Amino acid sequence: MNTNITEKDGKYVVALEGELDTAHAIEVEQAMQPLHEVSGKEIIIECTKLDYIASSGLRILLGLLKSAKANDNKVVLSNLNDEIKDVFKMTGFIDLFEIK
Amino acid sequence: MKNPKTSAARSSQIAILITAAVLMLLISGIQQNYARKEIRKNLERTAEMELIIKSIDVKHSLEDVTLALRNRSWEFEQFLPYPDSLFDVTRRIVEENPNFAGCCIAMVPNYYPEKGRLFEPYTLRRGEVIETLQLASEEHDYSKNPDFIIAVKNDSSFWSEPYHDEDDPNVRLITYTFPIYDAYGDMAAVVGVDLSTEWIGDLLNAKHMFPSSYNILLSGEGRLIYSPKGKNRHKDVDQIMGLINDSTAKHTVSASGRVTIFSFVDWEDRSKGSLFYYTPQNLGSWRIAVINYDDEVFEPLIKMSWINLLLTLAGLLVLAFIIQRSARNLSKLQQATLEREHINSELNIARKIQMDMVPKTFPPFPERNDLNVYGSLVPAKVVGGDLYDFFIRDEKLYFCIGDVSGKSVPGALVMAAGYTLYRSLAGHESNPSRIMQALNEAVAENNETNMFVTMFIGVLDLPTGRLRYCNAGHEKTFIIGQEIKVLPAKAHLPLGAMEDMIYTTQEVKLAPGDMIFLYTDGLTEAKNEKHKIFGLKRIEAGLQDCIKNESVTPEKLIQTMTDRMNGFVDGAEQSDDLTLLAIQYTPQKKPLILYENLTLNNKVNEISKLNAFVMSATAALNMEKGLANQIKLAVEEAVTNCVEYAYAPGTNGTVNVVIEADDAKIRFIITDTGVDFDPTGVHKADTTLTVNERPIGGLGIFLVRNLMDSINYERIDGKNILRMEKQYFG
Repeated sequence: MNTNITEKDGKYVVALEGELDTAHAIEVEQAMQPLHEVSGKEIIIECTKLDYIASSGLRILLGLLKSAKANDNKVVLSNLNDEIKDVFKMTGFIDLFEIK
Repeated sequence: MKNPKTSAARSSQIAILITAAVLMLLISGIQQNYARKEIRKNLERTAEMELIIKSIDVKHSLEDVTLALRNRSWEFEQFLPYPDSLFDVTRRIVEENPNFAGCCIAMVPNYYPEKGRLFEPYTLRRGEVIETLQLASEEHDYSKNPDFIIAVKNDSSFWSEPYHDEDDPNVRLITYTFPIYDAYGDMAAVVGVDLSTEWIGDLLNAKHMFPSSYNILLSGEGRLIYSPKGKNRHKDVDQIMGLINDSTAKHTVSASGRVTIFSFVDWEDRSKGSLFYYTPQNLGSWRIAVINYDDEVFEPLIKMSWINLLLTLAGLLVLAFIIQRSARNLSKLQQATLEREHINSELNIARKIQMDMVPKTFPPFPERNDLNVYGSLVPAKVVGGDLYDFFIRDEKLYFCIGDVSGKSVPGALVMAAGYTLYRSLAGHESNPSRIMQALNEAVAENNETNMFVTMFIGVLDLPTGRLRYCNAGHEKTFIIGQEIKVLPAKAHLPLGAMEDMIYTTQEVKLAPGDMIFLYTDGLTEAKNEKHKIFGLKRIEAGLQDCIKNESVTPEKLIQTMTDRMNGFVDGAEQSDDLTLLAIQYTPQKKPLILYENLTLNNKVNEISKLNAFVMSATAALNMEKGLANQIKLAVEEAVTNCVEYAYAPGTNGTVNVVIEADDAKIRFIITDTGVDFDPTGVHKADTTLTVNERPIGGLGIFLVRNLMDSINYERIDGKNILRMEKQYFG
């Protein structure tokens, strides 16, 4: 599981690669920690290569979204595959996030 | 406040009375009118008859007089040569007839030359005294008397017009004048005999139709010949005479045409009367009349009217009484009908509530092949409080059967409330005694009417056949397998009997093919005409007969038991609800094509091992990738739950995962020995909450439920066993 954070034109792009299961949840959470401290930024979570996400992963994203609201950041999820979209739909997360 | 019903009823009563009164008066009026007409007709006829008869009487009397006089003509002839003897003749005539007031013989002038031109021997009666004298003189020249002249000229006999006696104005006289002849046949004299009309009157007024009725006699010139003195109601009869002599006065004529009829109103006392007068054929031109007064004529009618009125009033009173009575009865009847309708509608509501709650579709789980259920509830006429229910949640069959002690609406309401609570509890509690406990508290609280509910709750775990149950005072439950067995039940009190009753769960393992049979006391207590009850023995006998049949199904069993009961009862009325429920457990064990086993430590990093384990199994089954990923997610969530929460922080523990698969379904059995936790009892996560409202946790089980076809939890021997199943093929 890889988490690559890059900054481009004032935007943060977080590329998630692999499977975000419970085993990898902690490391991804740690990697995303800096994003809880920025403010006024757009954060794009790039999911093209994200194959799988478990509830712990959803938890991380939710946490990010909550802090983003507090810090005036914008969170966008992009290129979710169909299975992950289904999971989002099932859990109602599809209405919480801006998805591209 | 006045009851609008009673005042409406009252006014309709009054309306009936008024109508009746009006009708009665109308009928009475018509009758009276008719009677009046009849009386009048009768009066006419009678009056006419009276007048005819009386006129004949008068005629006869007058004829008697004239005849008597005529018979004396020989005497006149005899004495004619002796003028002085004529005085005696006149005297004799008057003496012999007390009715004669006078008699004169007016000689034809100069008949007796020696007597002078005029010679009129005359006798008159004055009271007791009879006086005889010669009446004629130059002053009293009878030859100038019209009657004399007519008699002589016409050679006729006739009665004169009435006139008053000179001496006594109250007396009316009438004179019969007739000529007498001498031996040569020449007219010698004209005899005049005076009669007081009283004598005629006495004839007329001897008998009358009515007390005040009277007759009068009038001459052809309209002068009164006779009217009764003192007896008539008039002081004078001028009014009557005026009417008779006035040809223009309004009058009618009798049916025969002979009698003229006047109606008049007495000038003096304003009483109404009727006057009938008749001109007889043979009384010259004399007219005879009879006067009747209406108040006497119609007296019987008036009497009848009064009686009629009294009877009408009496009748109306009776009618009023009857109406009152019947109105009261009617309102009582209406009341009773209303109450009955009210009760009926209450009963219907109660029945509707009851029947709505009971599962009615059979077979209830056509998609399943491990279970067959059939139930029947036949309500009694008076709604009882029976209920049965069953449903499947997370691969467990929750079923119950109950009987409320009270009947009708309260019973139905208690049952409805109990049912709702039961369903709510069973939604996340699989321990029957805990459900029973909560129900008992609810029923026992505020149980002033001491309503109680017998109840049996069972939870059958479908994958294993483990039946957990709790009985609260209900009838014995039977398990029908190779033989009939009674399910051993602790003697718990029914719900509501004791607020702090402790209920405990019992359990038994069902063998494939076993059938559970439940019923209410509507079956045990079913009575026949002789008041014998069906009883447990007959139930058992019935069940024994059923198992002789190899392929008995719940429906067949219930049908057989119902038929038996009906046969026993044989038409006697059903006094209580009859409820029967049969559940047959028929697990199908398919041969496994995959079996894998993995034990993990309760560390998060073990999850990778788990996921690989799962993926290898799904690959072995050639599962489609998307489906495989779903399964992987579900299993990961379930196991993660155990890993993170089953054991106290810091303690080591294991989680065992077994994968089984047949040709259509894949099954995961996750076992841990950690804290007692039923993930299927967790309340569903609310996916509609906003970002700020969303809790961080709670998604795991949610995902498991949504991704898998079924989940099932059991706690056995200190182990949490979670099963989840998914159809991957077919």
